[in-house]
Amino acid sequence: MANIIRAASRRDVLKISALTSVGGMLGAARANAAPKSMTMMHESSFIPAYDAFFKNTMAPAYEKATGIKIVYETVSVGSLQTRVTTVAETRSGPDLSMLVFNWAFLFDEKLVDVSDLAASIGKKGGGWHDAAAEAVVVNGKWKAIPFGNIGQLMNYRMDWFNEAGVKDFPDTWDGLLEAGIKLKKAGHPFGFELGHGFGDNHGWLYPLLWSYGGRETEPDGKTIAIDSAETARAIDFCREFFQKTMFEDVLGWTDVSNNKAFLSEQISCTNNAESILYIAKRDFPEIGKVTGQAQNPKGPGGKRFHMLNPLTHGIFSHTPDVQAAKDFLSWVMDPKQAGPWYDIAVSYYAPYLHMFDDAPFWHVEPRNLPYRDSLTTSHLPGWPAPISRAQSESVAKYVVVDMFAKACAGKSTKVVIADAAAQLKQIFKPG
Amino acid sequence: MFSWLMVVPPVTFLLLLVGYPLIYGVWLSLEDRPVARAGTFVGLANFIADARDPVFWQVTINTFVYTIAATILKMVGGLGLALTMNQDFRFKNTIRAAMLLPFIVPTVLSTIAWMWILDPAFAPVNWFLRNLGLADPGPSWLGNAHLAMMSLIIVNVWRGLPFYGITLLAGLQTISPELYEAATIDGASTWDRFIYVTLPLLKPVIFIVTMFSVIFTFADFQLVYVLTRGGPANATHLFATYAFDVAMGGGQLGMGASIALAMLPPLALIIIAMSLYMKPTKS
Amino acid sequence: MMVERGGWRVRGLRLWLPLGAYMIFTLFPFYWMAVTSLKPNNELYNRKIMPLIVYHPTLKHYADLLSETNFLVWTWNTFLVAAVSTTISLVFGTMLAYPLARMRFAGSALISFGVASTYLVPQPLLFIPLADIITSLGLNDTLTSVILTYPTLLIPFCAWLLMGYFRSVPGELEDAARIDGATRLQTMFKVFLPLCTPGFISAGIFAFTLAQNEFLYALIFLTQTDVRTVPVGAIAELVKGDVFYWGQLMAAALLGSVPVAIIYSFFVEHYVAGLTAGAVKQ
Repeated sequence: MANIIRAASRRDVLKISALTSVGGMLGAARANAAPKSMTMMHESSFIPAYDAFFKNTMAPAYEKATGIKIVYETVSVGSLQTRVTTVAETRSGPDLSMLVFNWAFLFDEKLVDVSDLAASIGKKGGGWHDAAAEAVVVNGKWKAIPFGNIGQLMNYRMDWFNEAGVKDFPDTWDGLLEAGIKLKKAGHPFGFELGHGFGDNHGWLYPLLWSYGGRETEPDGKTIAIDSAETARAIDFCREFFQKTMFEDVLGWTDVSNNKAFLSEQISCTNNAESILYIAKRDFPEIGKVTGQAQNPKGPGGKRFHMLNPLTHGIFSHTPDVQAAKDFLSWVMDPKQAGPWYDIAVSYYAPYLHMFDDAPFWHVEPRNLPYRDSLTTSHLPGWPAPISRAQSESVAKYVVVDMFAKACAGKSTKVVIADAAAQLKQIFKPG
Repeated sequence: MFSWLMVVPPVTFLLLLVGYPLIYGVWLSLEDRPVARAGTFVGLANFIADARDPVFWQVTINTFVYTIAATILKMVGGLGLALTMNQDFRFKNTIRAAMLLPFIVPTVLSTIAWMWILDPAFAPVNWFLRNLGLADPGPSWLGNAHLAMMSLIIVNVWRGLPFYGITLLAGLQTISPELYEAATIDGASTWDRFIYVTLPLLKPVIFIVTMFSVIFTFADFQLVYVLTRGGPANATHLFATYAFDVAMGGGQLGMGASIALAMLPPLALIIIAMSLYMKPTKS
Repeated sequence: MMVERGGWRVRGLRLWLPLGAYMIFTLFPFYWMAVTSLKPNNELYNRKIMPLIVYHPTLKHYADLLSETNFLVWTWNTFLVAAVSTTISLVFGTMLAYPLARMRFAGSALISFGVASTYLVPQPLLFIPLADIITSLGLNDTLTSVILTYPTLLIPFCAWLLMGYFRSVPGELEDAARIDGATRLQTMFKVFLPLCTPGFISAGIFAFTLAQNEFLYALIFLTQTDVRTVPVGAIAELVKGDVFYWGQLMAAALLGSVPVAIIYSFFVEHYVAGLTAGAVKQ
């Protein structure tokens, strides 16, 4: 049965290859025999057991079942994009790769359409969350299979919040500001990244902007909308939030800084992925006990937002045997495999499949439940516009982050908005 | 003939491995070229867009400030270091080797140590200020735009000084002691000897080391990328880091190439100056 | 050696004061690395205690580094890559520098300009076309890939630096040898090059160091842990997302640099001796 399916789809492969290139044809010709090995590239997870599980359990199991050796190449998260770029540009190297952020879009021409696979995986897995499509669907085609969302939440010291008389984590930004003023007075300032890191800056500044009703462009992805009263209010809030609850150094922080500051008990609240709680529990059990996680606060409109940070797996179109790669991905995403892999990371990667909505691992650490709940309010930078090249350029140039950072460093709201608007106009040039 | 026989193999090697990338880079800069997609030729449009980009000009100023300040400090410090080291003293070799350490240790790793040294929560300066009750948390070495640039320059000098020191020391060692003896007999003071014997003979080495140091500092990448990644608010972005962010992070290879190639004219001027200076004198 | 006069006061002012100041500036970060690599995590993150003192030293980070990563393999790779590419660069550098510095021939200015203009190619973009070349040669994940590409970064500087040293050697020496009947090649090897030992050592130190520090090409071309060099291996396996394994990173920094400094110390001694000997002969 499986053989028949493979034979049929191999014909499609040949068709596609003939259209693309001679190199592709050679690849397809070679594909008549199952490949001996395939390479999957991945960021080195901060949870060592997660990588180890793949290398030591999943890869050998797959080799045993199919005879195909799976090589697992780890790259540090900051270097992954450079590697993926090189692989896509030179059309050689790993067959599959982990992708994050909007890379399914950036590299879409060099990625295999996996819509069919996504449909079957979704069917088996109780359906996809809406956020899944936002992350990987380009021109109506799924260019990668979403694995999990690495959410960003508020991380805070429950004990210090309690001491300051704040029993529950504030539900609004204004409430958080109020709490922050008290906590800073008590010697426990907040620390939110306003520098040029990869994610912890965007992770709270985009949600802040959105919850105040601000946006970079209209949903058409062309009309610049940053210059608005909503943006101005978000900036004014941010400046006050910075001045009254934080300290100057956050302006120069990168992603590692807030982890370090939280674990060295310098700050009482930050916005980060689960790594703080995870490491605290492992290396600093006392801090681990009193670390809480909460969803981002609501803006004046009563809405809250989060950063969508999808970890997905894509297949490079240069892979000699597309079907073999698809088979492998399908095997990985089978609940029999994916389930234990999620388990190892204890909800660090929030699955995009509804069948895991109430999976046991969520109850291992109930403090992680907000990660699951935040998925419905999570978006990629640039929302509500669809993902675009201009959007990645805006993120790479830190337009939004620097707009807030400059305001915090003392520039007027008007000036920083004008700067950002000018930059966006150039980036979203017509045509 | 002899000259050509010698020169051809290395030149061929460089041409093969660098020629294609250079042409490719120039070509990229003339294209609207999204990553992993075909490009379209746009002429100088990327350069025009750069010229209108305020961040580009900020990056230009940053790069010049960084390069000029770091180079002057390294040159003066390196010369002083070489002169100091050129004396006879105990543990000379051990100290000379230890002096090289900042240069030896991989930059990505040493910069990670500096992340702590420049963190106000742990920096020794801040620790003393805090414990003496003078300031809390004290200066923000990487969070304040001006201090951040200064901090990067200091780390760059820390890393680069040993190389100046050792290279100029080697230069000093090639100066024949007889020249100094002759000068001393003629009644020259230490200062005179330095000005009339040391400096003129050391000039070629100083010149070359400085020029290359300018080139490397101008195109510096790793240090900034690990410490601040261009923050706070672009205050420490340099050409190389900005080009990298736009090309890799933003997936705009054409525009990234145009930013990187903006380094070309100033660097080319330096190299032309070097070539003129180093014209052979002996037949 | 310079003739030193004056008492200990002068010597203190001229030697020990600047030397001491410089050593503190240079070595302080190493002290920091050493301290960090010996601190248990709860002490490292404790900002209440004096950061320059280790209260409960542990070798755990070193043990973890050596047992959980391929650090020793990376060190060997790094050494091999740096040694071979340095040799290539010095040979090619000399082949360029000698004619350019000592002989007048048509096109020499153009060649010296062309060689230096290698550095005009922006490295942060150069790696894409280079990766193309490496892939088409089938050299991915081999040390040959970086051994081949590093010299492009090293040759121009080596050549120019050697030109500088070559020019400072008096031409009369060679002329004398030529008059005695030696060929160009003999003069070069027997008379000229030995005189330039310090130049070779400083160019060699430069090339070796740059090669073992290089990050970008190593990142692109060396993707399997057993072919990686120290910087790429350490960053790939000890920096995990926004979690840094500080102790192990610092242990790697120290273990990766101190042995090299010890090796350099022999060279440094050698070139001082070699040089004064050469000068005396003259």
